[in-house]
Amino acid sequence: MNWRILFKSLKVAFRARKRVLFFMIIYAVLYIQLGRGLEGTSAGADPILWVFVSFVIATVYAVLIAQFRRRDIAILKCISWQNNDILLLLIGEVVLVSFVAFLLVFNVSVYILGLITYVAGVGPLLSELTGIIVIDLPFLIPAVLIIVFLQLPGLAAAQYRAMKIPPMRALREE
Amino acid sequence: MVNPIIKLEEVDKEYGKGKNTVAALKDVNLEIMPGEFVAVVGPSGCGKSTLLHVSAGLEQPSSGRILLDGVDVTLISERDLPKVRAQKIGFVFQSFLLIEDLTSYENVESVLWPSKDYTKEKQEARALEVLREVDMLERRDHRPAQLSGGEQQRVAIARALVNDPPILFCDEPTGNLDSKTGESILKIIANLNRDRKMTVVLVTHNEELTKFAKRVLRMKDGRITSDR
Repeated sequence: MNWRILFKSLKVAFRARKRVLFFMIIYAVLYIQLGRGLEGTSAGADPILWVFVSFVIATVYAVLIAQFRRRDIAILKCISWQNNDILLLLIGEVVLVSFVAFLLVFNVSVYILGLITYVAGVGPLLSELTGIIVIDLPFLIPAVLIIVFLQLPGLAAAQYRAMKIPPMRALREE
Repeated sequence: MVNPIIKLEEVDKEYGKGKNTVAALKDVNLEIMPGEFVAVVGPSGCGKSTLLHVSAGLEQPSSGRILLDGVDVTLISERDLPKVRAQKIGFVFQSFLLIEDLTSYENVESVLWPSKDYTKEKQEARALEVLREVDMLERRDHRPAQLSGGEQQRVAIARALVNDPPILFCDEPTGNLDSKTGESILKIIANLNRDRKMTVVLVTHNEELTKFAKRVLRMKDGRITSDR
Protein backbone atom coordinates (compact mmCIF):
# COMPACT_ATOMS: atom_id res chain seq x y z
CA MET A 1 0.00 0.00 0.00
CA ASN A 2 1.40 3.38 -1.03
CA TRP A 3 0.34 5.63 1.89
CA ARG A 4 1.70 8.73 0.17
CA ILE A 5 -0.74 8.33 -2.71
CA LEU A 6 -3.61 7.62 -0.30
CA PHE A 7 -2.91 10.78 1.73
CA LYS A 8 -2.51 12.83 -1.44
CA SER A 9 -5.77 11.41 -2.75
CA LEU A 10 -7.61 12.71 0.35
CA LYS A 11 -6.20 16.15 -0.37
CA VAL A 12 -7.16 15.96 -4.03
CA ALA A 13 -10.66 14.70 -3.16
CA PHE A 14 -11.24 17.79 -1.00
CA ARG A 15 -10.69 19.93 -4.09
CA ALA A 16 -13.67 18.32 -5.83
CA ARG A 17 -15.75 20.15 -3.21
CA LYS A 18 -19.23 20.09 -4.74
CA ARG A 19 -19.23 16.36 -5.51
CA VAL A 20 -17.63 15.39 -2.23
CA LEU A 21 -20.01 17.53 -0.12
CA PHE A 22 -23.04 16.19 -1.98
CA PHE A 23 -22.05 12.57 -1.33
CA MET A 24 -21.08 13.31 2.30
CA ILE A 25 -24.65 14.42 2.92
CA ILE A 26 -26.05 11.39 1.05
CA TYR A 27 -23.84 9.06 3.11
CA ALA A 28 -24.84 10.77 6.36
CA VAL A 29 -28.49 10.17 5.48
CA LEU A 30 -27.69 6.53 4.65
CA TYR A 31 -25.95 6.03 8.02
CA ILE A 32 -28.95 7.49 9.82
CA GLN A 33 -31.49 5.44 7.88
CA LEU A 34 -29.56 2.18 8.14
CA GLY A 35 -28.74 2.86 11.81
CA ARG A 36 -32.42 3.47 12.56
CA GLY A 37 -33.28 0.30 10.67
CA LEU A 38 -30.81 -1.68 12.77
CA GLU A 39 -32.22 -0.11 15.96
CA GLY A 40 -35.57 -1.43 14.86
CA THR A 41 -37.33 1.40 16.67
CA SER A 42 -38.61 3.40 13.78
CA ALA A 43 -41.59 2.41 11.69
CA GLY A 44 -40.85 2.09 7.98
CA ALA A 45 -37.04 1.89 8.30
CA ASP A 46 -36.49 -1.59 6.89
CA PRO A 47 -32.75 -2.40 7.21
CA ILE A 48 -32.78 -4.73 4.19
CA LEU A 49 -34.22 -1.95 2.02
CA TRP A 50 -31.54 0.47 3.24
CA VAL A 51 -28.78 -2.08 2.74
CA PHE A 52 -29.96 -2.38 -0.86
CA VAL A 53 -30.22 1.42 -1.31
CA SER A 54 -26.73 1.82 0.24
CA PHE A 55 -25.32 -0.81 -2.11
CA VAL A 56 -26.75 0.96 -5.16
CA ILE A 57 -25.56 4.42 -4.06
CA ALA A 58 -22.08 3.19 -3.04
CA THR A 59 -21.66 1.41 -6.38
CA VAL A 60 -22.93 4.36 -8.42
CA TYR A 61 -20.65 6.73 -6.47
CA ALA A 62 -17.51 4.62 -6.98
CA VAL A 63 -18.22 4.31 -10.70
CA LEU A 64 -18.99 8.03 -10.90
CA ILE A 65 -15.61 8.92 -9.38
CA ALA A 66 -13.87 6.88 -12.09
CA GLN A 67 -16.04 8.65 -14.67
CA PHE A 68 -15.39 12.18 -13.32
CA ARG A 69 -11.67 11.46 -13.00
CA ARG A 70 -11.44 9.92 -16.50
CA ARG A 71 -9.13 12.64 -17.81
CA ASP A 72 -6.95 12.55 -14.70
CA ILE A 73 -6.69 8.75 -14.89
CA ALA A 74 -5.62 8.91 -18.54
CA ILE A 75 -3.01 11.59 -17.72
CA LEU A 76 -1.68 9.57 -14.78
CA LYS A 77 -1.34 6.58 -17.09
CA CYS A 78 0.57 8.76 -19.57
CA ILE A 79 2.98 9.69 -16.77
CA SER A 80 3.46 6.01 -15.92
CA TRP A 81 1.15 5.36 -12.98
CA GLN A 82 0.06 1.76 -12.59
CA ASN A 83 -3.56 0.69 -12.15
CA ASN A 84 -3.11 -0.12 -8.44
CA ASP A 85 -1.86 3.39 -7.74
CA ILE A 86 -4.78 4.85 -9.65
CA LEU A 87 -7.22 2.73 -7.59
CA LEU A 88 -5.76 4.28 -4.43
CA LEU A 89 -6.64 7.70 -5.79
CA LEU A 90 -10.27 6.58 -6.16
CA ILE A 91 -10.30 4.88 -2.74
CA GLY A 92 -9.07 8.11 -1.13
CA GLU A 93 -12.24 9.97 -2.09
CA VAL A 94 -14.48 7.12 -0.90
CA VAL A 95 -12.61 6.93 2.44
CA LEU A 96 -12.88 10.69 2.88
CA VAL A 97 -16.61 10.79 2.17
CA SER A 98 -17.39 7.73 4.34
CA PHE A 99 -15.35 9.00 7.29
CA VAL A 100 -16.49 12.61 7.22
CA ALA A 101 -20.14 11.54 6.89
CA PHE A 102 -19.68 9.31 9.95
CA LEU A 103 -18.13 12.19 11.90
CA LEU A 104 -21.00 14.42 10.82
CA VAL A 105 -23.70 12.04 12.09
CA PHE A 106 -21.73 11.24 15.25
CA ASN A 107 -21.11 14.90 16.02
CA VAL A 108 -24.69 15.97 15.41
CA SER A 109 -25.92 13.09 17.59
CA VAL A 110 -23.58 14.09 20.41
CA TYR A 111 -24.59 17.75 20.17
CA ILE A 112 -28.31 16.98 20.27
CA LEU A 113 -27.91 14.57 23.19
CA GLY A 114 -25.76 17.19 24.94
CA LEU A 115 -28.46 19.79 24.41
CA ILE A 116 -31.11 17.45 25.79
CA THR A 117 -29.02 16.86 28.90
CA TYR A 118 -28.30 20.57 29.25
CA VAL A 119 -31.83 21.83 28.75
CA ALA A 120 -33.93 20.52 31.61
CA GLY A 121 -37.28 20.32 29.86
CA VAL A 122 -37.00 18.70 26.46
CA GLY A 123 -38.93 20.77 23.97
CA PRO A 124 -41.01 19.14 21.24
CA LEU A 125 -38.60 20.27 18.49
CA LEU A 126 -35.58 18.75 20.23
CA SER A 127 -37.27 15.44 20.92
CA GLU A 128 -38.43 15.40 17.28
CA LEU A 129 -34.81 15.94 16.16
CA THR A 130 -33.62 13.18 18.46
CA GLY A 131 -36.00 10.77 16.79
CA ILE A 132 -34.85 11.79 13.33
CA ILE A 133 -31.06 12.13 13.67
CA VAL A 134 -29.67 10.65 16.87
CA ILE A 135 -28.40 7.09 16.37
CA ASP A 136 -26.95 5.10 19.25
CA LEU A 137 -23.29 4.27 18.67
CA PRO A 138 -23.85 0.46 18.86
CA PHE A 139 -26.11 0.84 15.80
CA LEU A 140 -24.21 3.60 14.03
CA ILE A 141 -20.92 1.67 13.94
CA PRO A 142 -22.41 -1.47 12.27
CA ALA A 143 -24.26 0.82 9.82
CA VAL A 144 -20.97 2.46 8.83
CA LEU A 145 -19.20 -0.91 8.53
CA ILE A 146 -22.00 -2.34 6.37
CA ILE A 147 -21.89 0.67 4.03
CA VAL A 148 -18.08 0.57 3.85
CA PHE A 149 -18.29 -3.14 3.00
CA LEU A 150 -20.90 -2.40 0.33
CA GLN A 151 -18.38 -0.08 -1.35
CA LEU A 152 -16.19 -2.98 -2.38
CA PRO A 153 -18.11 -4.14 -5.49
CA GLY A 154 -18.36 -0.50 -6.59
CA LEU A 155 -14.64 -0.01 -6.16
CA ALA A 156 -13.98 -3.18 -8.13
CA ALA A 157 -16.21 -1.80 -10.90
CA ALA A 158 -14.40 1.56 -10.71
CA GLN A 159 -11.04 -0.19 -10.93
CA TYR A 160 -12.25 -2.13 -13.97
CA ARG A 161 -13.40 1.08 -15.65
CA ALA A 162 -10.13 2.85 -14.80
CA MET A 163 -8.10 -0.05 -16.19
CA LYS A 164 -9.99 0.17 -19.47
CA ILE A 165 -9.14 3.86 -19.96
CA PRO A 166 -6.19 3.93 -22.36
CA PRO A 167 -3.54 6.63 -21.80
CA MET A 168 -4.18 7.93 -25.29
CA ARG A 169 -7.72 8.98 -24.31
CA ALA A 170 -6.23 11.98 -22.49
CA LEU A 171 -4.83 13.18 -25.79
CA ARG A 172 -7.87 12.44 -27.90
CA GLU A 173 -10.27 14.22 -25.52
CA GLU A 174 -8.30 17.46 -25.61
CA MET B 1 30.27 0.83 -30.06
CA VAL B 2 27.25 2.81 -28.90
CA ASN B 3 23.87 1.13 -29.28
CA PRO B 4 20.79 3.08 -30.38
CA ILE B 5 18.63 4.30 -27.50
CA ILE B 6 15.52 4.03 -29.68
CA LYS B 7 15.21 1.38 -32.35
CA LEU B 8 12.17 0.62 -34.50
CA GLU B 9 12.22 -2.48 -36.68
CA GLU B 10 9.58 -2.92 -39.42
CA VAL B 11 6.93 -1.16 -37.37
CA ASP B 12 3.37 -1.02 -38.68
CA LYS B 13 0.45 0.61 -36.96
CA GLU B 14 -3.11 0.22 -38.17
CA TYR B 15 -6.33 1.63 -36.77
CA GLY B 16 -9.79 0.14 -37.32
CA LYS B 17 -10.80 -3.22 -38.70
CA GLY B 18 -11.69 -4.72 -42.09
CA LYS B 19 -12.61 -2.19 -44.76
CA ASN B 20 -12.15 0.69 -42.30
CA THR B 21 -8.50 -0.08 -41.62
CA VAL B 22 -6.23 2.94 -41.78
CA ALA B 23 -2.48 2.39 -41.89
CA ALA B 24 -0.84 5.13 -39.80
CA LEU B 25 2.69 3.68 -39.95
CA LYS B 26 4.04 1.48 -42.72
CA ASP B 27 7.20 -0.56 -42.32
CA VAL B 28 9.06 2.07 -40.31
CA ASN B 29 12.73 1.37 -39.52
CA LEU B 30 14.57 3.89 -37.37
CA GLU B 31 17.58 4.14 -35.11
CA ILE B 32 18.17 7.09 -32.78
CA MET B 33 21.45 7.32 -30.90
CA PRO B 34 21.84 8.60 -27.31
CA GLY B 35 22.04 12.39 -27.10
CA GLU B 36 20.53 13.05 -30.54
CA PHE B 37 17.96 15.81 -31.13
CA VAL B 38 15.63 14.52 -33.81
CA ALA B 39 12.76 16.50 -35.31
CA VAL B 40 9.96 14.62 -37.09
CA VAL B 41 8.09 16.80 -39.57
CA GLY B 42 5.38 16.21 -42.10
CA PRO B 43 1.84 17.20 -43.04
CA SER B 44 -1.09 16.60 -40.75
CA GLY B 45 -2.11 12.93 -40.70
CA CYS B 46 1.23 11.64 -42.00
CA GLY B 47 1.75 9.49 -38.89
CA LYS B 48 4.32 11.55 -37.01
CA SER B 49 2.39 11.65 -33.73
CA THR B 50 1.59 7.94 -34.04
CA LEU B 51 5.31 7.30 -34.50
CA LEU B 52 5.96 9.15 -31.24
CA HIS B 53 3.19 7.42 -29.28
CA VAL B 54 4.24 3.98 -30.50
CA SER B 55 7.92 4.68 -29.80
CA ALA B 56 7.06 5.84 -26.28
CA GLY B 57 4.98 2.74 -25.54
CA LEU B 58 1.76 4.74 -25.19
CA GLU B 59 0.32 2.64 -28.01
CA GLN B 60 1.28 -0.83 -29.16
CA PRO B 61 2.28 -1.27 -32.82
CA SER B 62 0.29 -3.66 -35.01
CA SER B 63 3.55 -5.41 -35.90
CA GLY B 64 7.30 -4.92 -35.61
CA ARG B 65 9.70 -4.39 -32.71
CA ILE B 66 10.47 -1.30 -30.62
CA LEU B 67 13.54 -1.21 -28.42
CA LEU B 68 13.94 1.55 -25.82
CA ASP B 69 17.45 1.54 -24.41
CA GLY B 70 17.74 -2.14 -25.37
CA VAL B 71 14.36 -3.14 -23.87
CA ASP B 72 11.81 -4.55 -26.33
CA VAL B 73 8.64 -2.75 -25.24
CA THR B 74 6.46 -4.85 -27.54
CA LEU B 75 7.21 -7.89 -25.36
CA ILE B 76 6.34 -6.17 -22.09
CA SER B 77 2.88 -6.67 -20.58
CA GLU B 78 0.47 -3.76 -20.27
CA ARG B 79 0.91 -4.08 -16.48
CA ASP B 80 4.70 -3.67 -16.52
CA LEU B 81 4.92 -1.09 -19.30
CA PRO B 82 4.41 1.93 -16.96
CA LYS B 83 7.54 0.92 -14.99
CA VAL B 84 9.63 0.93 -18.17
CA ARG B 85 8.15 4.25 -19.31
CA ALA B 86 8.85 5.78 -15.89
CA GLN B 87 12.52 4.82 -16.11
CA LYS B 88 13.17 5.59 -19.75
CA ILE B 89 10.98 8.41 -20.99
CA GLY B 90 9.55 11.82 -20.33
CA PHE B 91 6.67 13.08 -22.49
CA VAL B 92 5.63 16.64 -23.33
CA PHE B 93 2.22 17.01 -24.98
CA GLN B 94 0.77 19.72 -27.16
CA SER B 95 -2.14 20.31 -24.77
CA PHE B 96 0.08 20.19 -21.65
CA LEU B 97 -2.11 17.54 -19.96
CA LEU B 98 -1.80 18.89 -16.45
CA ILE B 99 -4.23 17.76 -13.75
CA GLU B 100 -6.54 20.68 -12.99
CA ASP B 101 -7.00 19.84 -9.28
CA LEU B 102 -3.25 19.83 -8.60
CA THR B 103 -0.88 22.77 -8.23
CA SER B 104 2.17 23.11 -10.52
CA TYR B 105 4.33 21.60 -7.80
CA GLU B 106 1.96 18.67 -7.24
CA ASN B 107 1.64 18.06 -10.99
CA VAL B 108 5.41 17.68 -11.18
CA GLU B 109 5.76 15.69 -7.97
CA SER B 110 2.87 13.34 -8.85
CA VAL B 111 5.16 11.42 -11.23
CA LEU B 112 7.22 10.35 -8.20
CA TRP B 113 4.35 9.50 -5.81
CA PRO B 114 4.22 5.83 -6.87
CA SER B 115 8.02 5.53 -6.71
CA LYS B 116 9.62 3.48 -3.97
CA ASP B 117 13.10 4.73 -4.93
CA TYR B 118 12.40 8.27 -3.74
CA THR B 119 11.62 9.14 -0.10
CA LYS B 120 9.03 11.88 0.56
CA GLU B 121 11.82 14.40 1.16
CA LYS B 122 13.65 13.39 -2.01
CA GLN B 123 10.43 13.66 -4.02
CA GLU B 124 9.81 17.18 -2.74
CA ALA B 125 13.40 18.28 -3.31
CA ARG B 126 13.47 16.83 -6.81
CA ALA B 127 10.17 18.48 -7.80
CA LEU B 128 11.41 21.86 -6.58
CA GLU B 129 14.72 21.38 -8.39
CA VAL B 130 13.11 20.79 -11.79
CA LEU B 131 10.63 23.62 -11.27
CA ARG B 132 13.60 25.90 -10.64
CA GLU B 133 15.23 24.57 -13.80
CA VAL B 134 12.29 25.69 -15.95
CA ASP B 135 11.96 28.96 -13.99
CA MET B 136 8.58 28.08 -12.47
CA LEU B 137 9.52 27.88 -8.79
CA GLU B 138 7.65 31.06 -7.92
CA ARG B 139 4.46 29.75 -9.51
CA ARG B 140 4.58 26.38 -7.78
CA ASP B 141 1.35 26.88 -5.82
CA HIS B 142 -0.68 27.93 -8.84
CA ARG B 143 -3.14 25.59 -10.50
CA PRO B 144 -3.03 25.12 -14.31
CA ALA B 145 -6.05 27.41 -14.81
CA GLN B 146 -4.06 30.24 -13.17
CA LEU B 147 -1.11 29.85 -15.55
CA SER B 148 -0.51 31.04 -19.13
CA GLY B 149 -0.01 28.46 -21.92
CA GLY B 150 3.76 28.95 -21.86
CA GLU B 151 3.86 28.52 -18.08
CA GLN B 152 1.74 25.37 -18.27
CA GLN B 153 4.13 23.95 -20.86
CA ARG B 154 7.10 24.75 -18.60
CA VAL B 155 5.40 22.82 -15.79
CA ALA B 156 4.75 19.96 -18.23
CA ILE B 157 8.46 19.96 -19.15
CA ALA B 158 9.40 19.91 -15.44
CA ARG B 159 7.04 16.95 -14.99
CA ALA B 160 8.73 15.13 -17.87
CA LEU B 161 12.15 15.71 -16.31
CA VAL B 162 11.43 14.91 -12.69
CA ASN B 163 12.24 11.19 -12.92
CA ASP B 164 15.43 11.99 -14.84
CA PRO B 165 14.66 9.95 -17.98
CA PRO B 166 17.27 9.59 -20.76
CA ILE B 167 14.68 10.19 -23.52
CA LEU B 168 12.32 13.14 -23.98
CA PHE B 169 9.43 12.83 -26.44
CA CYS B 170 7.77 16.11 -27.42
CA ASP B 171 4.50 16.00 -29.36
CA GLU B 172 3.94 19.44 -30.93
CA PRO B 173 4.99 21.17 -27.68
CA THR B 174 4.53 24.63 -29.19
CA GLY B 175 1.29 23.88 -31.04
CA ASN B 176 -0.89 25.76 -28.54
CA LEU B 177 1.53 28.64 -27.99
CA ASP B 178 2.31 31.90 -29.77
CA SER B 179 5.56 31.96 -31.75
CA LYS B 180 7.61 33.87 -29.14
CA THR B 181 6.56 31.60 -26.26
CA GLY B 182 7.02 28.55 -28.50
CA GLU B 183 10.57 29.62 -29.28
CA SER B 184 11.37 29.98 -25.56
CA ILE B 185 9.97 26.49 -24.87
CA LEU B 186 12.08 25.03 -27.68
CA LYS B 187 15.16 26.74 -26.23
CA ILE B 188 14.54 24.98 -22.90
CA ILE B 189 14.25 21.64 -24.73
CA ALA B 190 17.39 22.34 -26.79
CA ASN B 191 19.29 23.19 -23.60
CA LEU B 192 18.22 19.89 -22.04
CA ASN B 193 19.65 18.11 -25.08
CA ARG B 194 22.87 20.11 -24.96
CA ASP B 195 23.51 20.23 -21.20
CA ARG B 196 22.04 16.95 -19.99
CA LYS B 197 22.72 14.98 -23.19
CA MET B 198 19.07 13.94 -23.23
CA THR B 199 17.83 12.27 -26.37
CA VAL B 200 15.03 14.44 -27.73
CA VAL B 201 12.44 13.41 -30.30
CA LEU B 202 10.34 16.38 -31.35
CA VAL B 203 7.26 16.12 -33.53
CA THR B 204 6.23 19.34 -35.23
CA HIS B 205 4.54 20.59 -38.35
CA ASN B 206 6.41 23.88 -38.02
CA GLU B 207 9.48 23.82 -40.31
CA GLU B 208 10.90 26.82 -38.42
CA LEU B 209 11.46 24.70 -35.33
CA THR B 210 13.64 22.15 -37.11
CA LYS B 211 16.55 24.59 -36.72
CA PHE B 212 16.92 23.36 -33.13
CA ALA B 213 17.34 19.72 -34.24
CA LYS B 214 20.52 18.04 -35.43
CA ARG B 215 18.59 15.48 -37.47
CA VAL B 216 15.31 15.93 -39.33
CA LEU B 217 13.02 13.08 -40.36
CA ARG B 218 10.33 13.80 -42.90
CA MET B 219 7.21 11.66 -43.04
CA LYS B 220 4.50 11.14 -45.62
CA ASP B 221 1.65 8.61 -45.64
CA GLY B 222 3.04 6.67 -42.67
CA ARG B 223 6.56 6.32 -44.04
CA ILE B 224 9.83 8.12 -43.36
CA THR B 225 10.68 9.70 -46.70
CA SER B 226 13.79 11.63 -45.72
CA ASP B 227 16.38 11.40 -42.93
CA ARG B 228 18.97 14.21 -42.75
